[in-house]
Amino acid sequence: MTERSALRPGVPAQTGGDVLAHRALLYGSRREFLLTAVPFLRAGRRAGDAVVVIAAPPVAAALREQLGSETAAKIEFIDAAEWFRGPMHALASCHDRARADWWPRGRLRLLAEPVWDGLTPLETREWKRHDALLNVVFAGTPTQIMCAYDRAALPAHVLDAAARTHPELAGPDGAAPAGRFTGPAEFCAECDAGPLPPPPATAARRSFATGGLPALREFLSAEARRLGLPEERTLPFVLAANEVATGIVRDGGGRGSLWVWAEGGELICDITDPARILTGRFAGYEPPGGPGHDAEMWAVRRLCHIVEIRSGSRGTQLRLHVRLA
Amino acid sequence: MAPEQARSGEPATPVGEMRAGDHLCLAYVNHEERHAVLTAFLNDGLRAGHALVYLVDAEPAGAAEGRLRDGFGVALGDGRLVVLPTAEADLDAVIESALARGHPGVRVTAEASPALRGWPGSERFTVFEDAVHRAVTRPGRPAMALCQYDRRWFAGGHLREVEDHHGGRAGADAVFDDGVLTIVPLFAPPGLRLSGAIDESTLPALVEALRDFDDAAHLCLDLSGLDFCDLDGLRALIRANQTSTVLDRQVILRSMPGCMELMLRASGWDTAPGIVAEAAV
Repeated sequence: MTERSALRPGVPAQTGGDVLAHRALLYGSRREFLLTAVPFLRAGRRAGDAVVVIAAPPVAAALREQLGSETAAKIEFIDAAEWFRGPMHALASCHDRARADWWPRGRLRLLAEPVWDGLTPLETREWKRHDALLNVVFAGTPTQIMCAYDRAALPAHVLDAAARTHPELAGPDGAAPAGRFTGPAEFCAECDAGPLPPPPATAARRSFATGGLPALREFLSAEARRLGLPEERTLPFVLAANEVATGIVRDGGGRGSLWVWAEGGELICDITDPARILTGRFAGYEPPGGPGHDAEMWAVRRLCHIVEIRSGSRGTQLRLHVRLA
Repeated sequence: MAPEQARSGEPATPVGEMRAGDHLCLAYVNHEERHAVLTAFLNDGLRAGHALVYLVDAEPAGAAEGRLRDGFGVALGDGRLVVLPTAEADLDAVIESALARGHPGVRVTAEASPALRGWPGSERFTVFEDAVHRAVTRPGRPAMALCQYDRRWFAGGHLREVEDHHGGRAGADAVFDDGVLTIVPLFAPPGLRLSGAIDESTLPALVEALRDFDDAAHLCLDLSGLDFCDLDGLRALIRANQTSTVLDRQVILRSMPGCMELMLRASGWDTAPGIVAEAAV
């Protein structure tokens, strides 16, 4: 992955052409937020951009009031609770909507205030990664994204990550390069630094090889039922695990093993490929169609809540997380 | 003995699975289907050493022989295949004589000629079908019959009448069936019915079956019996129109199951050109 110029720290992103501008707005007060966000949105309307706000209803109401009904009527407001259901869900939705609805109308100007409460430690980490991945997925697209962070309410580690995942910081006086910006590959490497804890001894285990996937799918469906995964979530889970197993049979070591268990309100499935080593940091995070982009892993990630990957000299371990409720 | 009732809409018995005592109808939709099923019926018989009896009544036996010579000339020449006018054939005697000559079985097929044999529902139709039925279902007699009907002649009621006088319908054999995936040819529109699961083990068979349609104008894939399809399988189905030499070809994905719709959305391929995805009804 070559880093694009707009992603390097210290180089201000251009605001014209097909160059992504991705800024963090770390605000200290509602007033500071509005003083930055409202001009950002107004400028988008004046330029004829597709303007979108993803925020909680009270924040949206405050913005509407400041913008005036005429301007606000031309802006798409999306409820943050609906949008930020999961980091991969949000990433893929954003890509799908941009491709289908927003970019065809011109440049996209997006103001988003992510939700950081009620998350597990894993989810928190993956939402931080999500911020870093926006630099990759939307690189070279006519997109301006401003992500809002409440300095008074959010924990220090969230604010710290925001300052590292956005190439620029926004404020009432304009945008400035983020001095501590960290390249998305490096940031993702940090996210994946530690080993995954081993599956519990009680996890159901199964090996597979070519020709054995019909039986593997039956096993996965039965385990999903036994562990309480609702029926409508079983198919996406089985599709995802089958896809990973297929990749191992076809392109990897030819045989692998998987473990299934329930933990912390999730159904978890570990799949190991003893032979294959993955080197890409963005496997499955880049939408299919681009050179070298992995359509299978993109689909696998979309079918799950979160997918963790660890790869090294001893092979590759994938951990699929699916929410039970 | 009354023929067992054939329920309309029940899947056809693959012709290759016909056994002694079977009296089935081939209600074909076009020449291709008739040819595929009839050829399999006759060839299976030759391989098993059966005597083949071909009954005609709308045309002279010689005309039918002329058509059958392409493919079955040797069997016509050495008497393993005989063409007889229905009116002159004492089916019981024909079957007994073939068995007496040492054939381990007899296969009878009759051409559909409703005008001469009596329209379904008429007395003559019933007399004919009952005679065939008695002849092949006699206990211990290793005989079977396949009655060909051009279904384009019949409205629903008459077609049911045809089916009711047979032990069911015969259809084309699967081109592939490994217990995981079954691929059966379709004739109108041309295509394939895929049942079971498409995964890494069955994908090569699917690719092979699709290759036979490279020159077909359009292609209809009936997916109503598909339980599972992975991303490679989906890719093969979508690309069926890209490998073709036919410009602007449409691939109809009929009765697409939920698992495929889910995968189409997840993979972002739901916008592939030349694909007409019809949701399951």
